[in-house]
Amino acid sequence: MYALYVLIAGMLQSAMGSFNSMLSENIGLFGVSLVVHLSGGILLILFITLILRQKINLRGMPWYLYSAGFFGVVIVSVTSFCISHLGAAVTTCFSVTGQLLISSVIDHFGLFHVPKAKFETKRIPAILLILTGIIILNLA
Amino acid sequence: MLLFMLLALLLGCASVTSNMINFRATKALGTWNGTLVNYVVASILAFLLLNLTNHFHVDWNAFVKAPPYLYLGGVFGVIALVILMVSLNKMKVFQCTTLILVGQLTVGILFDILVYRNFTLLKLIGILFVAVGIILDKKLSTND
Repeated sequence: MYALYVLIAGMLQSAMGSFNSMLSENIGLFGVSLVVHLSGGILLILFITLILRQKINLRGMPWYLYSAGFFGVVIVSVTSFCISHLGAAVTTCFSVTGQLLISSVIDHFGLFHVPKAKFETKRIPAILLILTGIIILNLA
Repeated sequence: MLLFMLLALLLGCASVTSNMINFRATKALGTWNGTLVNYVVASILAFLLLNLTNHFHVDWNAFVKAPPYLYLGGVFGVIALVILMVSLNKMKVFQCTTLILVGQLTVGILFDILVYRNFTLLKLIGILFVAVGIILDKKLSTND
């Protein structure tokens, strides 16, 4: 049952990207970012206080962890921008490939204090498939 | 085209960094407060950037005039977030990432066909190669 929900979550994320990209034509990229985070924040506050019945507390963590919000703005704005030019499907392809690349580098060198996990050569066929796809997408 | 693709790749890098920071925030403040803090800081930052880039003359009328259904994006995002946070530790990582990817690509392709009307067969083939590659890579690199 969770599988279906997770599938729906993926679908909702993609629909959000496309809606945001269309909305950005009206109110700009930072406007979209404001709307998405403000409405999301309000819904989350309602969810936390009314459904989970937990207290809101945002203080008491190292200052640099608050930069999560900076990445939030960058990600929503850049996603909307890319979807306007590439469409949602291709943007997803490239963004996930980027995630894969950077997490491989982080794991391989053990950056940010994550446990070191060397790049395994058995992954090469998969990487080649992705590269082929990217070349095709460049031609399309 | 290449510029946007590079930008989308960088977007993936930003997502990973952001996930790592968010994860540590949830360790410090608890799952939900740690998630909320991201939304609160981002709202303030977006408000400042919106004002700065418009020289403090933001056209708030444009917000009213925009088609209301487009504002559903934010709601979709929170529903997806809650679903993922509740399901993630109840499912295998491989299964989870595959399902998210399939969901994202299906709807992405639907939007390309129905809204943007820029879908081609070559694009579909490229998307399939990347998708199969990503799923295969996840399969090869998870040991369970």
